[in-house]
Amino acid sequence: MSASSTSGRAASGRHVLRSRRLHSLWPGPGPAALLALSIVATTALPLAAPQLTRRFVDDAAAGAGIDRLTLIALGYLGLAVAGQAARTLTAWLAGRLAWAGTDRLRERLAAHALGLDMAFHGRHTPGEMIERVDGDVAAVAGFVVAFLLDVVAGVLLLCGVIAVVAVTVDPGVGAVLLAYCALIGLGMVRAQRLAVPSAARARAAGAALSGYLEERLAGAEDLRANGAGEHAVRRFHQVSAALWRADRRGDAVGSSVLAGTGVAFAAGTALMLALSGTLSAGTAVLLLQYTLMVRTPFERLIDQLRQYQTALAGLGRIGELLAVRSTLPAPPSPARRLPPAGPLSLELDAVDFAYDDEPVLSGITLRLAPGETLGLVGRTGSGKTTIARLIARLYDPTAGAVRVGGLDLREADPASVRGRVGVVTQDVQVFSATVRDNLTLFRAHPGDDRLREALAEVGLGDWDLDAPLGAVSAGQAQLLALARAFLADPGLVVLDEASSRLDPATERRVDRGVTRLLSGRTGVLIAHRLASLSRADRIAVVADGKIVEYGGRRDLLADPTGRFARMLEEARR
Amino acid sequence: MRPLMTPLLAVTATLVRFELRRYLVGGLLWMPASILPLAGGLILQRLFDDLGTGGAPLLLCAAFVGVELVRGLTIVIAWTYGDYWWSAAAALLRANVLRSILTGRGRARHSPGEGLARLRDDVGDVVNFVDESVPLAGAVLFGAAALTIMASVDPAVTLVLVIPAIAIGVLSRLLNRTIRRLHRRSRTLGAAVTGHLGEIFGAVLAIKTAGAEEAALERLRRHNRLRREAAVKDRLATDLLGAATGATVEISIGLVLLLAAPAMHRGDFTVGDLALFTTYVGWLTALPRTIGGILSRMPQAAVSVERLTQMTGPGEDLSRDTGVWFRRDHPVPARPVHDDPLEVLQARGLTVGYGLHGVDLEIERGSFTVITGAVGSGKTTLVRALLGLEPADAGTIRWNGRPVADPGGFLVPDRVAYVGQAPRLFSASLRENLLLGRPADRLERAVRLAAFDRDLAGMPAGLDTVVGPRGVRLSGGQAQRVTVARALVRSPDLLVVDDLSSALDVETERRLWEGITGVCTLLVVSHRPAVLARADQIIVLDRGRVAGRGRLEELLETCPEMRRLWS
Repeated sequence: MSASSTSGRAASGRHVLRSRRLHSLWPGPGPAALLALSIVATTALPLAAPQLTRRFVDDAAAGAGIDRLTLIALGYLGLAVAGQAARTLTAWLAGRLAWAGTDRLRERLAAHALGLDMAFHGRHTPGEMIERVDGDVAAVAGFVVAFLLDVVAGVLLLCGVIAVVAVTVDPGVGAVLLAYCALIGLGMVRAQRLAVPSAARARAAGAALSGYLEERLAGAEDLRANGAGEHAVRRFHQVSAALWRADRRGDAVGSSVLAGTGVAFAAGTALMLALSGTLSAGTAVLLLQYTLMVRTPFERLIDQLRQYQTALAGLGRIGELLAVRSTLPAPPSPARRLPPAGPLSLELDAVDFAYDDEPVLSGITLRLAPGETLGLVGRTGSGKTTIARLIARLYDPTAGAVRVGGLDLREADPASVRGRVGVVTQDVQVFSATVRDNLTLFRAHPGDDRLREALAEVGLGDWDLDAPLGAVSAGQAQLLALARAFLADPGLVVLDEASSRLDPATERRVDRGVTRLLSGRTGVLIAHRLASLSRADRIAVVADGKIVEYGGRRDLLADPTGRFARMLEEARR
Repeated sequence: MRPLMTPLLAVTATLVRFELRRYLVGGLLWMPASILPLAGGLILQRLFDDLGTGGAPLLLCAAFVGVELVRGLTIVIAWTYGDYWWSAAAALLRANVLRSILTGRGRARHSPGEGLARLRDDVGDVVNFVDESVPLAGAVLFGAAALTIMASVDPAVTLVLVIPAIAIGVLSRLLNRTIRRLHRRSRTLGAAVTGHLGEIFGAVLAIKTAGAEEAALERLRRHNRLRREAAVKDRLATDLLGAATGATVEISIGLVLLLAAPAMHRGDFTVGDLALFTTYVGWLTALPRTIGGILSRMPQAAVSVERLTQMTGPGEDLSRDTGVWFRRDHPVPARPVHDDPLEVLQARGLTVGYGLHGVDLEIERGSFTVITGAVGSGKTTLVRALLGLEPADAGTIRWNGRPVADPGGFLVPDRVAYVGQAPRLFSASLRENLLLGRPADRLERAVRLAAFDRDLAGMPAGLDTVVGPRGVRLSGGQAQRVTVARALVRSPDLLVVDDLSSALDVETERRLWEGITGVCTLLVVSHRPAVLARADQIIVLDRGRVAGRGRLEELLETCPEMRRLWS
């Protein structure tokens, strides 16, 4: 990972990546021109001021009248105020454009991350994702403004100073100045390259702290209930200490760059004064003022060094995130869509699946005609939920194929899969938003009446759509998830322990709704309560990732030595 | 404004005090960085005066570079040294908020994403504000010395230079209120963005299965736009103040030219003096700039202290000195003393809002109590109120007859352990998730009792298996049994379990109940017949009230609600 070991080819690849990911930041030609104009004004106005000081000193030395000197001083004041006004305008424009650009980048990152597979999300906490989508980009936003105001304006100013010195003072001094500035610039770029890896490590340590804190805040109740609060605080101190060590190393490098720049500028000033021995006093003051003027943006830039390094590190991490590809390849275009209406057939053909080389399913073969209902039974951890996730194409099988409506899911348009395959999971995820948002998941919806109907279908008819969803019990969350399923119009429904948290009375009430949901649709039911499988046409018994018994429900029941029949018997005891 | 500032000043005072030596030494180390430019200016004065008399002496030029070299070195040392104080102060504030939420009376009332934004950004704002006192001291020292030197050259001009600085101070005061309002708004909207991101990545499974990605992004765009508008305004206000400060330098140089014109005309004010004034004026603006910075950061920091205090419990001090643990490990927390084993736990008249109305409860040592009822009947609310996880509006709780004032702090291991409805595991090894700081001696037994031993035996890495964020890689049933084992490691007198067996198959469920029955007193929320049949006491809830109480067979005869649930 270290930047020094990066080969030329990788570096050019990274360059391409960087320009591609920065594309979101480009504000468009109009705003960019306006910003450029304002940056030029910010540079040109202060450039004129020292010319007045020079004239002032030389005129004073030559014995000019007070009136003339006062006039020059007033002119200087006017220029100074106009320069600051231009600077503020630039800062405002740059801030606006930077925010707009980085927001586009945030949205692109969020969209990209949402498109990644569940294996990716299994490895990254929501806190880490906040840091990567918002934190890294915020660092870049701060940097873009600083870059425009300090680097771009600073370099322009520098060029202006060199040009003005070469023309109005002495071409030789101008040339020396140019060579010297090029040297400092080169040095700074080199130093920067040294500084980036340590800043990247500091940033990664910061992200680790964020991830730690977010998980502990989310799991605060579990920690309290287990008397593990003090333990979590102790671990927090360890994570903080790691961040401190990374920060200290990064800052040691960063502050050395700052100090080096200061010395380089002092040396430049001294050099110029030594060279300008033959020039007039006024010219010497002019040169001093120019040096101070050039120094200010560089000082400011160094002052922001931590931010600058953070931004570079952030850009690197943004690139990494954008480079992550979903393990679910996009379908060949044009993608085929699942049949838009009616029940869908389902076929798992010799399906194997492994999480990171850890085999979970092997040789799963299942066939469901449109409108049929399949019950999946088996011990917890036997692989039932994984089968459900393959059907919803949250994962692709490592071997074999999953076909819905006769179409291999890998070749189907993902949007049509989401629209036509409905899944209700056991642990329902709810948002701290309104009931409406929780029901529609922020999507456009067919009207409040339909939403209320769906709520009534699961017995939540008295819920207010506009009220924020407060604390809900796990049972209520399951009802909400069923209501979500009622709102969609899937051709294939997967209910993974969808009513496991309901009391029998509520479950019976919901049952009628579920029957309506399954009628005219293909269904896959996963349930521990074997009684709730009475509506299944076919039953598959799963054990250790294999199907050990498969057949019509009535046929299996008729064989008292079969696994399913024995399980039912066991449950009755 | 006053009521906001007092807590900020209290926090500032303790942050300075808690690592006083580090703070003072760090501050002193920074002083050369502020004061050395005085020497630089004096050298330039000599240089320019010598220019008139023929050529700049190389020795002076070298001295000028030397001064900057020394300054650079002290900056590197001071910066690296100061990192310790900065990081320690931030860690102290974060640890105190975290401790309050995890062990005290504080609550994470907001989404984890928003809580994170507070711990990250608001802590940074507060520490930066206190840290600003160091450059302030440097700027004051430099200012006093520079003004004295300048006054010895030309008192009148020096006096006039003070005026722009005062103007900046006044302007900062005037802009303060506006900046504070804009900043608060921008922070609130920023937290809304992180909150939304946390929600969509926390519920990514639901969003993906529903194909709601685009809608979630659209909402993100809306939050982004609102924050953007607020942040640009916030920044503009701060920039205006900065620009006004920057303008003072230029205006001051202009004033020097204007006022020094007669003296220069007479020859009293040399070119060297002008060089001295020009350099000093640049550095002098550090004073109003730092003061302006502190004045603009003060309201922001006050808002931050307020936002952090909201996360802590009443009466808990945000900045109390709980130590820094960077160079050595935080000591392993002592186990709370538990010398009063459970005989009987009683609750009388527990009432929570509209959810629970005057519920009584009595649990005797070794008993098996089940709370049952329809969805939304208040089962979970009852156990949460009993354990102090949700504030009760009325009711008393007694442990062995003695009243419990703070159930949230008292009914914890080793007295009580709780397994919630949607238990969470952390991104760490199974061992760390199970122990959470406890010694490993009860681990094996707990895993066996929780019927997780067979699953564990099937994992190649065993207890070192890292479970993903929130235990994603374990099945729902596995995660539930891990959290039961986690509770059993603590050997509680009373184990409270909310709706445990819903994700378990019949056989695993039976092994689990056989394992934990008799190990400790049990209070269980469930509607599973197998569990109800085992109970010594069933409490039937209906719309927040007790509808029946007794053994299953009695209730089936006397309690219509029980019959409705059972049939």
